Amino acid sequence: MDSALFPKGVKRCPTWQFALWIGAVGIVLLWGVYAMLLCWLKGLNQTNMNDYYGFALWIWADLAVIALGGGAFFTGFLRYIVGKDELKNIINFAVLIGFICYSSALLILAIDIGQPLRGWFIFWHANVHSMLTEVAFCLSCYFGVLTIEYIPLILENRQIDRVPFFHNLAHNMHEVMAVFAATGAFLSFFHQGSLGGVAGVLFGRPFAFREGIFIWPWTFFLFTWSAAAFGPCFTIFLLKITEKITAKKLVKDSTVWLLAKISGWMMLTYIIAKTIDTLYWLTVTAPAAGYGAGFFYDNWFYNFGWLFVEIVVGGFIPALILVSEKGRRSPGLLFLAVLLGVIGVSVNRWVMVLQVMAVPVMPFDTWALYYPSWQEVATTILPVAYGVILVSLSYRYLPVFPNEMELNAAPAQAEAVVDEELPVQAAVARA
Amino acid sequence: MEMNARQHKFGMVIDLDKCTGCGACMVACMAENNVPFKVDETNKRDSITWMRVYKLTNGKPYPEADACFLPRPCMHCEGHAGHSPCVSVCPATATDYSSETGVVSQIYTRCFGCRYCMAACPYHARYFNWWDPVWPDGMEKYLSPNVSPRMRGVVEKCSFCYHRYQLAREKAIYEERDEVAEEEYQTACTQACPAGAIVFGDLNNPDHQVARIVQPDAHHHFTGHSKIAFRLLEQLGTNPKVYYLTEREWVRKMCDQYNFGPQAAGH
Amino acid sequence: MKLDRRSFLSFVIGGAAGTALTPLPWKLTDDLSIWTQMWPWTPVPPDGAYSYVSTTCTLCPGGCGIQVRLVDKRAVKIEGTPGHPVNDGGICPLGLSGLQLLYGPSRVDGPLKRTAGRGAGRWTPISWDDAIGEVAQKLAALRGDGRPQAVAAISGSGRGTFSALVERFMTVYGSPNLMRPASAADACEMALYRMHGQQAMAGYDLENADFVLSFGSGIIDGWGSPVRMIRARSLWKERKVPLVQVEPCLSNTAAAADRWLAVAPGTEAALALGLAHVILSEGLYDYNFTAFYSAGFEPWRQMVLDGFAPDQVAQITGIQKDVIVDLARQFAKARAGVALWGRGRGTTPGSIDEAMAVHSLNALVGAVNRQGGVWALPEIDYIQWPEAEMDATAANGLQTARLDGAGLEPHADARSLAHRFFTAVAEGKTDPVEALLVFEANPLYTQPDTATVKKALDKIPFIVSFSSLQDETSAYADLILPNHLYLERFEDVAGPAGLNQALIGLTQPVVAPQRRTRHAGDVILALSQGLGTPVADAFPWESFEACLEETLGDDWDALVANGYVARPVSLPHWSSAFGTASGKFEFAGTYRPAPLEGDKGAFPLVLVPYDSMRIAGGTAANTPFMTKTVGDEILKGNDMFVQVNPQTADSLGLREGLYAELSTPRGKARVRIHLTQEVRPGLVAMPRGLGHTAFDPYLAHKGVNVNALLGPVDDPASGLDAAWGIQAKLAKA
Ligand SMILES: Nc1nc2c(c(=O)[nH]1)N[C@H]1C(S)=C(S)[C@@H](COP(=O)(O)OP(=O)(O)OC[C@H]3O[C@@H](n4cnc5c(=O)[nH]c(N)nc54)[C@H](O)[C@@H]3O)O[C@H]1N2
Ligand SMILES: Nc1nc2c(c(=O)[nH]1)N[C@H]1C(S)=C(S)[C@@H](COP(=O)(O)OP(=O)(O)OC[C@H]3O[C@@H](n4cnc5c(=O)[nH]c(N)nc54)[C@H](O)[C@@H]3O)O[C@H]1N2
Ligand code: SF4
Ligand code: SF4
Ligand code: SF4
Ligand code: SF4
Ligand code: SF4
Ligand SMILES: [Mo]
Repeated sequence: MDSALFPKGVKRCPTWQFALWIGAVGIVLLWGVYAMLLCWLKGLNQTNMNDYYGFALWIWADLAVIALGGGAFFTGFLRYIVGKDELKNIINFAVLIGFICYSSALLILAIDIGQPLRGWFIFWHANVHSMLTEVAFCLSCYFGVLTIEYIPLILENRQIDRVPFFHNLAHNMHEVMAVFAATGAFLSFFHQGSLGGVAGVLFGRPFAFREGIFIWPWTFFLFTWSAAAFGPCFTIFLLKITEKITAKKLVKDSTVWLLAKISGWMMLTYIIAKTIDTLYWLTVTAPAAGYGAGFFYDNWFYNFGWLFVEIVVGGFIPALILVSEKGRRSPGLLFLAVLLGVIGVSVNRWVMVLQVMAVPVMPFDTWALYYPSWQEVATTILPVAYGVILVSLSYRYLPVFPNEMELNAAPAQAEAVVDEELPVQAAVARA
Repeated sequence: MEMNARQHKFGMVIDLDKCTGCGACMVACMAENNVPFKVDETNKRDSITWMRVYKLTNGKPYPEADACFLPRPCMHCEGHAGHSPCVSVCPATATDYSSETGVVSQIYTRCFGCRYCMAACPYHARYFNWWDPVWPDGMEKYLSPNVSPRMRGVVEKCSFCYHRYQLAREKAIYEERDEVAEEEYQTACTQACPAGAIVFGDLNNPDHQVARIVQPDAHHHFTGHSKIAFRLLEQLGTNPKVYYLTEREWVRKMCDQYNFGPQAAGH
Repeated sequence: MKLDRRSFLSFVIGGAAGTALTPLPWKLTDDLSIWTQMWPWTPVPPDGAYSYVSTTCTLCPGGCGIQVRLVDKRAVKIEGTPGHPVNDGGICPLGLSGLQLLYGPSRVDGPLKRTAGRGAGRWTPISWDDAIGEVAQKLAALRGDGRPQAVAAISGSGRGTFSALVERFMTVYGSPNLMRPASAADACEMALYRMHGQQAMAGYDLENADFVLSFGSGIIDGWGSPVRMIRARSLWKERKVPLVQVEPCLSNTAAAADRWLAVAPGTEAALALGLAHVILSEGLYDYNFTAFYSAGFEPWRQMVLDGFAPDQVAQITGIQKDVIVDLARQFAKARAGVALWGRGRGTTPGSIDEAMAVHSLNALVGAVNRQGGVWALPEIDYIQWPEAEMDATAANGLQTARLDGAGLEPHADARSLAHRFFTAVAEGKTDPVEALLVFEANPLYTQPDTATVKKALDKIPFIVSFSSLQDETSAYADLILPNHLYLERFEDVAGPAGLNQALIGLTQPVVAPQRRTRHAGDVILALSQGLGTPVADAFPWESFEACLEETLGDDWDALVANGYVARPVSLPHWSSAFGTASGKFEFAGTYRPAPLEGDKGAFPLVLVPYDSMRIAGGTAANTPFMTKTVGDEILKGNDMFVQVNPQTADSLGLREGLYAELSTPRGKARVRIHLTQEVRPGLVAMPRGLGHTAFDPYLAHKGVNVNALLGPVDDPASGLDAAWGIQAKLAKA
């Protein structure tokens, strides 16, 4: 029925199946929207945040999606600035993921401040000393850039492309894309860093505070670095999942391996820097403020295990897998590595948001533990549902994967089997 | 020099050995500053108390146990050159450090509720209005016109009763005086404290009682001169303008993360 | 249409810049943001003309001077009066939050008549004329029946003109059954009567003391006049005057003391006598005082020497022998040492032996009638009304025995025994009580053993409350005739608790009555008119205000202007200091601790109430602001925590935060456990002042009323309620 909208030469599932899929995810989305409206109309009392936990679950989600969305700027940077042409096969997908992540991040922020209309005051009464000002400006601008990067993809929809104006517009946008990619990369380096700075400048919070150079604490650089390292991981991770669900090969192995290799080396260097930073912080910075290492991990929930998971399990292990040729070429190990990487960076963002809030600062304070309300969970899942829908729509109607046709020339016979077992997945797969 | 005469640095000294933990300062502050209240205020992590009196215990077994009360207003941290932990992080300049008074202000109508300042404040002196403030029917009659009631979604905190400074200054100007006298500008908590545990005044003015008690050392990050004076979490470098006094060593040690000592504090 | 790269870029950038350069989008966004600052449901307090009115706080017996800030006719803030002899500008949390009572939701708006079962909370508003008429009719009928003694009254305010008016009313009406809620004041009064031979209260010259030995008095927890005590203690800090606190648990006072002696509960009198033993045997006492101004010294001395040697006392109290000896020496050698008595805030009378033992200690070191010591302050006698004419009905009624047994053997020197009244009525051991008038009291909440009080009230067919606030007793009354609140009315406050000065404070209207209330004094005048001669003749005043003005005479103008008058007091002259038969100070008292109620086997622990300045104990209930200051180790949601030592909890398998059932012979409650090293093993500490069922949602149903678990215990020495705790049991819930 909607086949006229499909990219040329590809197969997609029947409309009813697609509608069913979108409907199912849409219900989750509506649940999130309902929670979002509650937060706006009734206020943030709908959350379980409190004066100790001023930043909570969704701010973690916000930081995590921005880090994971880092694949867009870094892949763009590699493709357009460094000139890794091979990456053109995955750049659309990376941009799509980036667009989803950043639009989600902005939405979360709009919910988080409870008074989205007043967010305007950041721009109107900007405080140049605030890392959050930097974040707000760069994030908004970069979202603009991502939109500009995503628009040509939309314009390449088979039907839209027929309109000469849009065709030319898309063409022209492609021509100038390097400019935007460069701008985006620049903005990204900054706002990823600023997000790290948000925690690192908190000299009243010895768990978060880091020294640095000039106005930037080390977390500034570590955040940018980790986004660059783990963002592509997430792109690969989602690609693998999409390939699994669609049961199609969508990007050439060589492209994936190249991205994995670069990501691996970024991760390895990052995690070494992170280790040095952690050791310095635990032995110099924190003790100077009066806090011993044991202090920060002296809780049944927040113990040294978190550090181990972040640095070893989610850092060194995936990094070593990816830098080894054997590792990244083994589909199993590759998937394990990107999964661990995603976990590693998410744990990093978690501790830099949530553990910061939980650690007592005043000696007569106690650990502040917190669990989110359903409204928070729903609003945090909302972007996931939204992302799934946007990926589904884009995959169905836009030429996200330039190599799809060539990689899937011979129709797979196994599909029928999958069809019976997992109707929804198979439905999408058959699409 | 004339400029210098106008550079006030209002601060407090709280004598923990006099403090009884009675809570009058907390209530005085609520009554003075139109602080709202809810039916259930037992979740102390969402209960707005610009002044909060903490109870510290020495952790020893009965009957060696000892307790001390520590009133905590906003410390009006100066940080380095006015970079208070909270002020420097606010993206919208909704909170500011006044170099004229040393007061860390809060502009409720500009605050958009990001709560970054709360994350930045190690003293938990900042409070978010998670709810609409609601006064039972008729009770809004006692609200003071000097302090605007805050709305849902903004952060509030102790202002050192800044409106009292404004009123005193207006009066001084009207009476053609240059300066507000020490007794003319006193905070509500200071005034109420039955124990006289709180002393408030201009740390820059050697005639003021606060300055005489504390004698802040400008060369050592404004640490107090007295051996029994200390600031809460001195080593964080927040450079607070609220000083505490106590003879009890365990309290002094605890309040600076068990690292108290002139050496440690002065670097 | 061909769009080249150049025109595309200019189109995009130009368009964006063009829009951005017009003020429109910026202005609109800014307006939108500003609009969000003005939600109409956030109140904007109107401005107006500022003024201050000086008056006196009556929310507790403290008698602090307060200034109320007004903006036009709105009272916006209560502050302490600078220079006031009691509080010099200081003020307590309750006093500070009085406006929440004034404008709060608990006010009774005009007379109410019950329309459903007692306590069901269903009322119909009636007119003042009908309300007064109904009470007058009832009282007239009983009087006509020749049974005026069947009317009982409780008047919280023990002193002052309003109290005197109530007393006069009951007298000419013909009932002896006027009671006041019991407190340490009763025991103090009785002890002074026995030792000084005077109807007086103790005045402590604390500001001049140089060593303070407190037997559990909550010096900074509300004892005496709370603000004055806190100020005195700051003064001691400045002057390095040592404060020694004798108390089983680490109260705030104990924590603030220079030294805390963790005594076994209930053995304070033994410790006092042990100290006396050291002072006597080492010859450290004041020879002059004991020889010339005291009587009964020898037998008392012998009693102490025989029974209270330091090692014996160490056994009883758990305080080491050398500590006792050392403390006794320090206390005796101090230039102006003084010992204080009265547990916590003094809410219950306590053991009079304890009072006398401690007071004897004062006498021993010569602290009686000495600068920096203690002396008896008779009530200020400004209430000089002509004797009222009484008819035979009244005379006969007054002849009948008081229902609480006060003034009769074996409690001949007791003036009021409220707890015995309720027990007797509940048990049906008295002639029936046909009507109860409740002024400024809330016995259904403040009396120990709430269930018995309720049972007693159930037997009284006609209960009238004059409370301006919906408290527990008025919720259980038949008629409420609401008084003005203290900020709306005239009242005199005589001699604040424990003060060593003759001070009269005036409470005066700060704002017009906020509800349809009427001064209870005026209501009494109206009632007396309704009863006709001779009752009416005893009340010649046209209004309570006129009565007060006349009573206060020459002081009136000064009172209206300043809020108080202070009369100089000098130390009593030795020749007239004592009204005893010997004309001297009488040493008295020994150690006869009243037994704790309950079987130790079934109830192995001991429940002790404690007082906190953040929780109003009686007179007024907590305001929303005060409840906000209560810690989450005391109250969480509606759950209340009891404080127990980890050692006690361990033995019962209880952990921090767990729910438990606390039971005593008088009642049961569901509580939660808070572990603390501040409480003596074996004790269960519970705050007084929570667990209200009436008032407003900001207070009601938060925690447990400790009085529901306690019961009165007769002091073998006085008949007053000497209970300081009760045997109790804690079990996992
Ligand atoms: N306006 C107003 N007036 C009131 C009240 C009110 O609510 N409002 N309440 C009324 C009530 S209910 C009462 S009970 C009275 C209270 O009457 P007050 O006597 O005014 O107050 P208390 O604090 O009970 O006083 C206890 C007395 O015992 C003395 N005392 C305390 N400890 C010791 C001790 O160890 N030894 C000796 N010898 N003496 C000691 C104190 O010095 C003090 O004189 O006030 C009444 N007056
Ligand atoms: N800090 C401190 N606290 C104390 C004491 C102390 O010395 N210091 N004293 C303690 C003592 S001795 C006692 S007995 C208790 C008293 O404890 P209670 O016996 O409970 O108090 P009462 O003074 O008898 O009156 C209490 C009731 O009077 C009503 N009431 C209070 N103020 C007003 C008013 O202005 N108008 C009207 N119409 N009603 C009013 C209220 O409804 C209240 O429920 O307080 C105790 N509280
Ligand atoms: S009012 Fe004074 S004594 Fe009471 S808690 Fe506050 S500082 Fe301490
Ligand atoms: S105490 Fe907190 S809110 Fe106050 S100035 Fe310091 S950091 Fe800011
Ligand atoms: S919550 Fe308000 S004051 Fe705090 S940082 Fe955000 S905008 Fe500034
Ligand atoms: S200084 Fe004023 S605003 Fe600050 S705590 Fe005291 S009363 Fe409150
Ligand atoms: S101590 Fe008593 S009299 Fe003084 S302000 Fe407090 S409640 Fe009022
Ligand atoms: Mo009382």
